[in-house]
Amino acid sequence: MTAAFLARRRLFRNRGRLLTSIGGVALALSLTLALDAIYAGVANGLTAYIDHAGADVWVSQAGVRNLHMVASWMPASVTAQVQAVEGVRDATPILYTTDTIASGGERGVAYVVGVPHEAPVGGPWQTSAGASDVLPGSVIVDAAFARRAGASVGDSVTVLGREMRVAGLSEGTASLVNTVAFVPFGDFRSARGGAPVVSFVLVRLEPGVDAAVAAAAIERAVPGVTAQTTAGFANQERSLVMDMSADVITIMNGVGFFVALAVVALTVYISTLSNRREFGVLKAIGARDRLLYGSVLAQALISVAIGTLLALAFTALLAALVPRTGIALAPALTGAAVLKVAGFGVVVALIAGLLPIRQVARIDPASTFRRGATL
Amino acid sequence: MATTLTVRGVTKQFGAGASAVDALRGVGLTVDAGEIVLVMGPSGSGKTTLLSIMGALLRPTAGTVVLNGRTISELSEHDLPAIRLHEFGFIFQDFNLLSALTVEENVALVGELAGLARSEARRRAVDLLTELGLADRLSFLPEKLSGGEKQRVAIARALVNDPSIILADEPTANLDSRIGREIMRLLRSIAKERGRSVVIVSHDQRIRDIADRVVWLEDGQLRDLVAMAVDPVCGMSVERDAAVSEERDGERLFFCSRGCRSEFLGELDAPAPSGPSEPRPLAGLMHMARQYARFGSPDTTSAGRQQHPRR
Repeated sequence: MTAAFLARRRLFRNRGRLLTSIGGVALALSLTLALDAIYAGVANGLTAYIDHAGADVWVSQAGVRNLHMVASWMPASVTAQVQAVEGVRDATPILYTTDTIASGGERGVAYVVGVPHEAPVGGPWQTSAGASDVLPGSVIVDAAFARRAGASVGDSVTVLGREMRVAGLSEGTASLVNTVAFVPFGDFRSARGGAPVVSFVLVRLEPGVDAAVAAAAIERAVPGVTAQTTAGFANQERSLVMDMSADVITIMNGVGFFVALAVVALTVYISTLSNRREFGVLKAIGARDRLLYGSVLAQALISVAIGTLLALAFTALLAALVPRTGIALAPALTGAAVLKVAGFGVVVALIAGLLPIRQVARIDPASTFRRGATL
Repeated sequence: MATTLTVRGVTKQFGAGASAVDALRGVGLTVDAGEIVLVMGPSGSGKTTLLSIMGALLRPTAGTVVLNGRTISELSEHDLPAIRLHEFGFIFQDFNLLSALTVEENVALVGELAGLARSEARRRAVDLLTELGLADRLSFLPEKLSGGEKQRVAIARALVNDPSIILADEPTANLDSRIGREIMRLLRSIAKERGRSVVIVSHDQRIRDIADRVVWLEDGQLRDLVAMAVDPVCGMSVERDAAVSEERDGERLFFCSRGCRSEFLGELDAPAPSGPSEPRPLAGLMHMARQYARFGSPDTTSAGRQQHPRR
């Protein structure tokens, strides 16, 4: 308690050093947190369709376990086979590909999804204008893309190499990487040569049926497919995105860690050096070394704790403000990222607090009697 | 009077080989309870080293320091903080208050270090500071205090754990003469009213007035002390043992020579000049000189002995 008290007083006594210390930590950890939040936001954007399509189980070509940058083709008959599995309420086939949509001078990458007319699942889950169902020759595009392209309901866009009329504008279907465009199942099939294939079968289950159990049952009953719960499928998608960005995140984590460590270690070290005389006085009046070590460590911990809280606040603010700027990204502050940064903080504080201990240990209490000595 | 602190044959050597310096050489000193001992000597004579060794801040190269029967110079590093905390109160020339703590916190901290609950430590601190006239400065940071106030805070800090010995290093050095006298009075009352032993290292001759004993340290050794007196005629410092002396009105006066004694006696024995109010030119000076020449001042009969190293 006394160690923390001394540390707090020493820390808050020198406002400049305090600001440098916690500002440096906050900045460094913000780098890490913000990057994590951005990638999490990107991953969330990429799984938006999976999360909101309305399926309990996703059935794909055997071995296909995610949506991004894959091709899944199954015979159209798979839909009926899946429908026949016990516990399946309905099975909706969709066609899927990654394509470019264009309108005016605006071009963008899109997950293009072919959805059967009046399908119970697989279509847009929120629209801001026009229809929510796609009729032949029409497309529902993301509202953010339409804004950038200056397109509105009734205008034409190019999808799958053909002109289609915008029937509606969907919300929540944009990520930093792409948008989702919904086209009629038949139009999609004909644009791809009319082969009787489907990309995925979206399954809704009877009430009370466990999704994992049903997925296993589908894999047993239908050869050549992989069936996953929606949560499992989305996790696979996020993992893929995070794996793709793992090196960048690792590098930035390292940068953040070392910058934070350098800032805290330096400020605590300088603070310890400049307070050597007072440490000597404390020793002279009977304070034990462990109290002094504790106060140095507490100073580092307090700096890092405040810096970490500021970094969290900054990242939370970033997450709240970025979507308002029109950028198709909602940075997400995840529990895992917070835990990671908290762990970083503890390690940084421990190292920064331990470095000056040798200096403190070497302070001679008798030096306090030397006039003007800097110890 | 029980012995509280004894330094026996203490030697302190800094460095080694050709560059070795003997700061203390076989120093012996005993400080009794309630006694004020003033250690004087030229700069570099080893005064501060002696004080540090007495306060368990520094280990002697040889010799022992015994506090109330316990040889503290042989204690382990682990045991020394407790000794410093409970047995000694330190007063520094530079005050050495912790700059980030308020006046009250500076004093209470020492109580807390000794294991007092925070509330009890604060209560003691407030009581002491109030007693020392700092009740309206409790929440001040040291930088806002005058030198005298800082030193009073340092004295409160030294007293808060009720130590048996106060070790003060040049306690009046950074203070003006009025505040210096105030601090001296305070140190004296600590010794006499609270029964604490006080060891003061100082160049300040005024502290002789409050000291029970003055020791002279030079070249790392304590010199034999001789009682000094001032010749009432010429004002010269004289060694009492070697001086010409004369008992007059129950007082023993000391002179540098027979000539001064004769002159003094002649003045006193001469018939008073006629006229009731004609001044005697030397009367005031002689009265002062007589006071100086006394073995002790009237109000500090056993204190303030004028002593000087025998050369």
